[in-house]
Amino acid sequence: MRIELRQDNLEVRVQLQTYSLDVLHKCFYWYGEDFSVDIETENGSIGLVLLRPKAGTIDESLLGSLSERIRSDLIDFKVRDIVTQETRNVRDLLIAKAFACTDEFDTPVPVQSTDIDHDHC
Amino acid sequence: MSYYLLPFRFQRLNEKEEVLVNEVGDFLICSAGTAGMVVRREIDSTDPIYADLLANFFVSEKPIPDLIDVLATRYRTKKSFLDSFTCLHIFVMTLRCNHGCIYCQVGRRTPEDAGYDMSLENLSRSIAMMFMSPSKNLTVEFQGGEPLLVLDKIKEAVETISAANKAYSKNVTYVLCTNLSLLSEEALEFCMQYGIIISTSLDGPEYVHNANRHILGINSYESVIRGIATCRERLGNDRVSALMTTSEFSLGFPIQIVDEYLRQGFSSIFIRALNPFGLARRRDGKKSYSVDQFLHFYKTALLYILQLNLQGTHFVEEYARIVLSKVLTPFASGFTDLQSPNGVVNSVVAYNYDGNVYASDEARMLAEEGDYTFRLGHVQRNSYAEIFYGPKARDIAEFWANESLPGCSECGFQTYCGADPVRNYATQGSAAGRRPSNAFCKKNREIIRFLLELMSNSNDIERVFRTWLNPSWLREQPVCQ
Repeated sequence: MRIELRQDNLEVRVQLQTYSLDVLHKCFYWYGEDFSVDIETENGSIGLVLLRPKAGTIDESLLGSLSERIRSDLIDFKVRDIVTQETRNVRDLLIAKAFACTDEFDTPVPVQSTDIDHDHC
Repeated sequence: MSYYLLPFRFQRLNEKEEVLVNEVGDFLICSAGTAGMVVRREIDSTDPIYADLLANFFVSEKPIPDLIDVLATRYRTKKSFLDSFTCLHIFVMTLRCNHGCIYCQVGRRTPEDAGYDMSLENLSRSIAMMFMSPSKNLTVEFQGGEPLLVLDKIKEAVETISAANKAYSKNVTYVLCTNLSLLSEEALEFCMQYGIIISTSLDGPEYVHNANRHILGINSYESVIRGIATCRERLGNDRVSALMTTSEFSLGFPIQIVDEYLRQGFSSIFIRALNPFGLARRRDGKKSYSVDQFLHFYKTALLYILQLNLQGTHFVEEYARIVLSKVLTPFASGFTDLQSPNGVVNSVVAYNYDGNVYASDEARMLAEEGDYTFRLGHVQRNSYAEIFYGPKARDIAEFWANESLPGCSECGFQTYCGADPVRNYATQGSAAGRRPSNAFCKKNREIIRFLLELMSNSNDIERVFRTWLNPSWLREQPVCQ
């Protein structure tokens, strides 16, 4: 992974084999409040994320902590992606079992009836 | 021995800790980086945490765990509110009101304005529609404006519902949301006769309450205090509740507001932020305070409440209790604002005075500003199926489950949180919302994180939280609130 500051843009380059486009989108979605985010590919194997601050510029003194946050977040979203991929079938099974044999979901939508029977008022 | 992963999510609590949360809400607070170690198979069966991971369904020694049916039942229990469908039915009896609250969300009219009361025809149709709900439990909530301005219509509604219910045998709970300034002997007698619960507003000590809630010629605080005392005496302590709303002015007095609730004999307080509707949104053309400001206020109040509890005074913060019921119990909370799928239509609808039906009370508030995005239909012109299962309801359904929303689908707190398409739309122009700048998300993420961190740091605080969830409280909870 390479993180560089170029002309007020923070450029993050990762191997797509390590961090898929899905992971990049999910991770950098959370940067959308403070940054304009562009995600591109280079040569088909490199994911390039461009972060442009919405207000002001990126202070070089904060670059270290920002880079650390990015590395940490990417790892977290990669881990989440692994869990999602590995547990997809079990999760589907769990939810299917949770709502199986639920007759009420097969109940027809109530048919429109007239106003309350005035005998009951 | 290797192991298989079971579905879970995780979230950082702070620099040192993270929380793992499985699909049914079991959680494990552990060192930061543990989720990664679990995924990379770096946890050995002899590690102390392995037993916790196994027992709490984060990993399994088989591809499909033996207890998957138990897990499925627990998942179903968490979503049990879906079984009952719409159980909270809000009847907006009038828009007329004798108060002028600075954060009014309902587009109120003055008591002299004509044409803003629910007609008997719309009332009758709304009641008929309510009884078509499959829910065995119905909560009928009368709102306004000030409902006591139309006491005759309230009486008509309750008597009609009670009579009709002989055919349906549902469990009906009545709630009257009132500022109590018009409380009369007639109203009290009627509430006694039908067991009507009173819900009123008390924003804090007199200087806070009166700063927020104005009524010409009357001290609003004195009026509500008098009303609360009278209702308690005549209806019983357990038939009167109060809610506060945090205004910008309130932010300076978290402890004083809690103390006021204690002084008035309440055993809990529900600390509520401003809703982004109506006057609260329009004031000065901008939000009156930030999420961070509210969170500071909330945490200050909560820590004070915890201190009281640790010193022997049982006093509950209700929003924390709702969240904790999702964290520490296998049950659904019954709180429509913090559900996935969200409570709109699934749990609550609002029948407006003019016959229009809205997906929620907040949807009705949007309509008062001329935005009918969440109007489901009209009681005179549309059938139950068209309103509750029609195109509008289906449109909302795309955005009412946090399991499928951007940002939420991966969030470690997903099981404890909810989705709010109406609020997303009102604040961000999109029912899906954008989590990075979403106030609902920011508020709930931080409150959930804070509660978990408090429990992690103190066994005593966890014990206090568990006393807030005693079984008798759980049994007493209405299905919808």
